[in-house]
Amino acid sequence: MQDRYPDASGFNVDKLQRHIGERLGLQSLTGVLGFERILTSPDISRPGLCLTGYTHKFLNHRVQIFGETEITMLSGMSPGKRRRALSNVFGFPVLCSIVSKGLEIPCELRDASLMAGSALFRSPRDTTPLIHDLTAFLSEVFAPQETMHGTLVDVFGEGVLCTGRSAIGKSEAVLGLVERGHRLIADDTVSVRRNGDTLVGSGDPVIGYHMELRGLGFVNVPELFGVGAVKERQQLDLVVLLVDADRMGEMDRSGLESMTTKILGLSIPLVEIPVLPGRNLTVLLEAAAMLNIRRKNTGSSTSEQLNRILLSKLEKRRGPE
Amino acid sequence: MKTRTLTVPNRLGIHARPAALIVRKASEFRSEVFISNGVDEINAKSIMGVMTLAAAGGSRITISTDGPDEETALDGVCAVIESGFGEEMLP
Repeated sequence: MQDRYPDASGFNVDKLQRHIGERLGLQSLTGVLGFERILTSPDISRPGLCLTGYTHKFLNHRVQIFGETEITMLSGMSPGKRRRALSNVFGFPVLCSIVSKGLEIPCELRDASLMAGSALFRSPRDTTPLIHDLTAFLSEVFAPQETMHGTLVDVFGEGVLCTGRSAIGKSEAVLGLVERGHRLIADDTVSVRRNGDTLVGSGDPVIGYHMELRGLGFVNVPELFGVGAVKERQQLDLVVLLVDADRMGEMDRSGLESMTTKILGLSIPLVEIPVLPGRNLTVLLEAAAMLNIRRKNTGSSTSEQLNRILLSKLEKRRGPE
Repeated sequence: MKTRTLTVPNRLGIHARPAALIVRKASEFRSEVFISNGVDEINAKSIMGVMTLAAAGGSRITISTDGPDEETALDGVCAVIESGFGEEMLP
C-alpha cells in the first residue's frame, strides 16, 4: 500500500514534483529553487491578467499556469516590456509556475523566476488536461479528512464501515467476510476523505493490511487469503454499528426507522446490529450490505414495501367509514 | 391467565410500526402474551405474528397473558394499544 494521499499540511513544491511530477512531465528549469514553498490551496491561477498590469486580487499563492495565451503575449513584446509585464507577476511571492504544451520559454521568465526564488517548470501536456489533472490531484491532497475507529470492507462492491466499541468483534466479523471472498481495505483505523459528495476510505500505510485477532496476534491478510482479499481504497456506502445485546430492548423492530450518521458533513446510512451469542455477524454484515444495495436500486426498503402491503389489507378490512 | 378485549383505536390499525411497539412492550415481561382477533391467536412477542394478525382500525382484539407477571403484562400491552401508538385515532 503506497501513500497515495500525502498530508496537506507542509505540502510543498518538492512534494508536488515528487508525487505528480512524472505524470505531468514536469521538468524544473530552476533546479530545486523554491521547492520549499508550501501550497495552501488546491486551485491554480492563470497569470494573464496580472501580466497586463491588473494585479488586484492576483492569486500568487497558487500554482501559476502559463499557457499558450500568456506565452504568445509575452513573445510578442519587446524584451523591456516583457520584463515589466513579468515584474507585475513576480513582484509577488509566486508559489511556482508551470509552462504548458512544452512551449518555448522566454529567458526573461526564467530570469524573473530565479530572481524571485520561485520554481519554474515546463510540461509537455496541453493546458486544459494539465490543469484538470493537477487540480484533481491537489483536491485529493486538500480534501477534508478524518481518522475513524472501525474496519472497512468491500462487500459485493458496497463499502461497509464496521464500527463499535473495542473488543465487540469487528475484526472477527470482518475476517469472516474476507474468508467469504470480500475484500479488506483497512482494519481498526480507517482514514476517510471527502471527495465532493462521496467519502473514500483507505488504510494506514504502515499497518497495511494487518489485522489484530485476539489470541492469534497479527495476521497479514493478503499473505493468508491472497492479493484478491484486499483493496487499496473504497467508497463508503454504509456504516454498521455493532452494539451490545442489552441495547436490543430499545431498538426499532419494524425496520421502518432508517438511520444515518454524519461523516465529514455527509449523511451515510447507519445500521445497528446487536451482538448476541448464536448470531452470525459475518452473515448479518453481508445481508446489511445486500439490503443497502437493494434499497438504492428500488428506492425503498423491504420493510417499507411489506408495510405498504399490510396497510392496504388493513384499509380493506376497515371498510368504508 | 388474564384476558381483556379492546378495540384497535387508531385509523390505520396494527401495521408494522404499531406492531413493533406492541412487541417491544410484550418482550419486557416474563409472561407469555397472546393476541387474538377471534380467528387466529398469535404470540405478541413476534413481530411477524402481530403483523399477520392484520388487525384493522376499529376491530376487536383480545389480549391474554399467562405467567408470573401476567397482571402487569396485560396492563402494559393494553396501555400501548389504547394509546393509539401516537397516530390518528378513529372518531
